[in-house]
Amino acid sequence: MSDRSDAAARPRGIDPRGPRFAAGITALLLLVGVLLSLTGLSTAQTGFGWFAYQPLADAVLRPGVGWSIQSATIAQRALDPAFLLLLVIALLFLWGVLSPQTAPWGVLYRKVVQPRLKPSAELEDPRPPRFAQGVGLFVVTIGLVLHLAGVPWALPIAAAAAFVAAFLNAVFGLCLGCQLYLVLQRAGIIGRERPAAA
Amino acid sequence: MTLVNALIGIAVLLVATVSIGVFLQWRQSRPRRHIPHEIVQPARLGADGLGETATLLQFSTEMCSRCPGVHRTLAGLADGRDGVRHLDIDVTHRPDIAKHFHILQTPTTLVLDRNGAVQTRFGGVPTRDVLELELDRLTRETADV
Repeated sequence: MSDRSDAAARPRGIDPRGPRFAAGITALLLLVGVLLSLTGLSTAQTGFGWFAYQPLADAVLRPGVGWSIQSATIAQRALDPAFLLLLVIALLFLWGVLSPQTAPWGVLYRKVVQPRLKPSAELEDPRPPRFAQGVGLFVVTIGLVLHLAGVPWALPIAAAAAFVAAFLNAVFGLCLGCQLYLVLQRAGIIGRERPAAA
Repeated sequence: MTLVNALIGIAVLLVATVSIGVFLQWRQSRPRRHIPHEIVQPARLGADGLGETATLLQFSTEMCSRCPGVHRTLAGLADGRDGVRHLDIDVTHRPDIAKHFHILQTPTTLVLDRNGAVQTRFGGVPTRDVLELELDRLTRETADV
């Protein structure tokens, strides 16, 4: 015997391998983003210019040594390659939240990958991957805003956090909605408006 | 930062991520027995009763992609055994229930004995074999009484 407390109509199911395929591509992009941000403006220190190699930079604390990003203009911060790549990733996350059916990696999966695989045994609810896209968008946006505000290390840390989630989703099947939803709800950040429903 | 340092950073990130994944997977499949053996009141969960031998009490949310699969496993187990009942409670809009049972991740599955006392807790996706063993044990205990 089996009961479900909430038998409300569910949205049409999706092939669960689609979101994991998309997470794999996202993880790869985010890893490139981490690499670009580590070698770019976000973590550069001033010496003789932005990308100057300083063999002994950590040996002697010279006066006047600081973060390049703090003396860069807004335009310079926005034109940093890592910033541009993470902006693209953020827009892709936004696309995935607003219109999951037309998001590029989902379309690529359905057009190219899915026809070559066996049909999926079970279709799954599209809401959990959408929630994960929203979390990704939130994390990457924080990194982008802090970077524009001149905070060093904002981009690599945000990109690394998003990478961990996307990689674990793609490789281990980790589901952010499973791990985070109730934690965020307990913290009072989401979904408290209907506490006594049902 | 030089390219070499950046690549070292990437390698550290990859190793750390894989470690987290392996750890999470290892922890998910382990049943926990040293927990408070609380008596569950079915009425508080909106259910009309519990199983005569055992109850598989699952907690799910709408944002949980693994819950439907666990639902199928548990429903299959309950269908194949007399006196075993499967209850799937959606706590998406019931933070009070989630808080009461200290649920921070879904699916979380509690195995209840014939009195409704919590015997075992699974955080994550339980393995079918371990569940079968739990149910065998509870069925024997009921038969002994």
